[in-house]
Amino acid sequence: MLEVQRLVKVFKQPKKKGKLAGGSPDPRDRGRSFYALDDVSFSAPGGKITGLLGPNGAGKTTLLQVLSTSLQPTSGGVKVDGIDIVREPLLVRRRIGFLSGNTGLYGRLTPRELLQYFGRLHGMARATLDSRIDELAETLDMHNYMDKRCDALSTGMKQKVNIGRTLVHDPDVIVFDEPTTGLDVPAAEAIVALVERCRDEGKTVIVSTHNMHEVARVCDHVVLIHQGKLRFSGSVDQMRSESECDTLDQAFLTLMHAEVIDAA
Amino acid sequence: MLPKNMGPLLAVYKKELLEVSRDRKTLMFMLVLPLVLIPLLMQLTVDFVADANKKAATETLSYAVFGADNLPGVEAALAQAEGFERVSLSSEDAVPAALADEEIKLALVVPPPLGDSQQTIVELHYDNASVTSRVQARTRAFLDDFGESVRADRLTALGVTTFSDQAALIKPVVMVERGTASVREKLGEVAGGLLPYMVIPFCFLGALYPAIDLGAGEKERGTLETLLLAPVSRLQLVLGKFLVVFTTGLVSATLSLVAIGGWVVLEGVKIAGELGEVVGSIGTLDLALVWLMLVPTTAMFSAVLLSISIYAKSFKEAQSFAAPFNMLCILPAVAAMLPGVTLSWGWALVPVSNISLAIKELLKGTMDYTMLVAILGSSTVIAAALLVFCTRWFSRESVLFRQ
Repeated sequence: MLEVQRLVKVFKQPKKKGKLAGGSPDPRDRGRSFYALDDVSFSAPGGKITGLLGPNGAGKTTLLQVLSTSLQPTSGGVKVDGIDIVREPLLVRRRIGFLSGNTGLYGRLTPRELLQYFGRLHGMARATLDSRIDELAETLDMHNYMDKRCDALSTGMKQKVNIGRTLVHDPDVIVFDEPTTGLDVPAAEAIVALVERCRDEGKTVIVSTHNMHEVARVCDHVVLIHQGKLRFSGSVDQMRSESECDTLDQAFLTLMHAEVIDAA
Repeated sequence: MLPKNMGPLLAVYKKELLEVSRDRKTLMFMLVLPLVLIPLLMQLTVDFVADANKKAATETLSYAVFGADNLPGVEAALAQAEGFERVSLSSEDAVPAALADEEIKLALVVPPPLGDSQQTIVELHYDNASVTSRVQARTRAFLDDFGESVRADRLTALGVTTFSDQAALIKPVVMVERGTASVREKLGEVAGGLLPYMVIPFCFLGALYPAIDLGAGEKERGTLETLLLAPVSRLQLVLGKFLVVFTTGLVSATLSLVAIGGWVVLEGVKIAGELGEVVGSIGTLDLALVWLMLVPTTAMFSAVLLSISIYAKSFKEAQSFAAPFNMLCILPAVAAMLPGVTLSWGWALVPVSNISLAIKELLKGTMDYTMLVAILGSSTVIAAALLVFCTRWFSRESVLFRQ
């Protein structure tokens, strides 16, 4: 279970020179402060897939970085299984797995060494770690290249290694940030299957994506943000009915400009 | 400051070291460069200087002479002098062209004496652009010898017949030097000024690529976020990374010392004369003390390079930020070469300069060992302060996620 309460994230920005009269069209841009997230609240229950939607630059990545404790919230709170991410970041990190389409690998390590490294960072005992790595190699069909350097692997193989890295410590909450971007059909299918399997195992799954087909197929719950503010939170069916649109693409465009949902 | 549980720190250290050891560029700078480049440079320099000197001292000097009648006996003496060979030129005007074509190495022109003067002027024409040329020295030696024989004949004609009387007349007062500086001190001043240039850059070069790889490299590969997501404090991450950069820098610096020491043992001992004595008098303890001072120096460089690397957005940006820092490493080392700069309590607190000056003192054999404590102490404090800065730097969102 993941709960986001009135989350605000402000970045300091340099003073702009020669700005045109009338100011910036972006409401998040307020002088020296940029409100990347402004009063965002929602919750993602366990055993469900929550889709995080929004156009490019909406604040999705910032939100995921806060959820995964890479960035500190300016105000508001996030709890993972009841644990506050600001007070107990190390405890929260033990429960979270993060997979992004842009995540790289250590090219000079083999997949086995890479998984061992992250397992050790998560404090796993050697025997448990070794059997977990064998299990992941089996599930993800990685046996043939477990001892080859990551640099020498194909994109699909690298993606599997990344999945292994995300799951090595058996996290309760898994965050996928545009996981299928740039992948071919078989690799993207493997990711979708993984997302569904995680849900079936009772984990809390959050998927940030632009692919409405994937949203319709796997998401139980949808959160839409635009310009740092929450515009919609509800089921896929509610998304269609509330926007009075037949397709999710149309619904997305309509709700993007909807009234801001009052977090209070 | 040290974390209680060292497990994650060790995991970071081991993993980064494994990756670094598989990087050819790092291995090149860390192992190959000091072990190959230093002995090669030293050998080439010594060989080149020795060859040039030998050639200049023994080559046959072809010469032309004009106006020899104005200095009786010089023509015959030149003909008998070893290493001189006469070439006939059509006229004095042909001298510049003959020198340019290397047909002759020198020309002696003896104009008629002025009035009643008994002193003869001999003009030496030669190419004075060459640094290694011994033409002037060898000609002067010949003319000095010839002049002495002329003088002895003239003094004898004046009734001063014995050698000792002639010597007392020519030089009634003779100064004999009794300098307090030993040969080691004099040559240590020169060699000690050069040694920091060979060793200190390797503290930097060995640490450079791993530092860039471990900071900016993580950002460029897109692995930083996953690393920050591990349940490990930023302190452990940065300490683990720092220790790897420090290790590679120190390995490189140590190997440069080993290379110098090895070359001295294998080749340096063959050097004859005073330089050979100085080389032989440098003990293992001196080299060990030089190494000890390189430890905090490497730590300083590692902390700064890692801070630069963490700030940079890409490998390329980190390289361009690190380039001016390279100059900052060398400039304080230059201070040790400046005339009049010696190791004092004030200089002992200036990072890098203090180590350069101390290396010089150690080689000269005049080290004040209490000063060594001040140098090690101040360098360690500065290195620790830079490391604290680096760990704080690594905790800042504006640095880690710089847009």
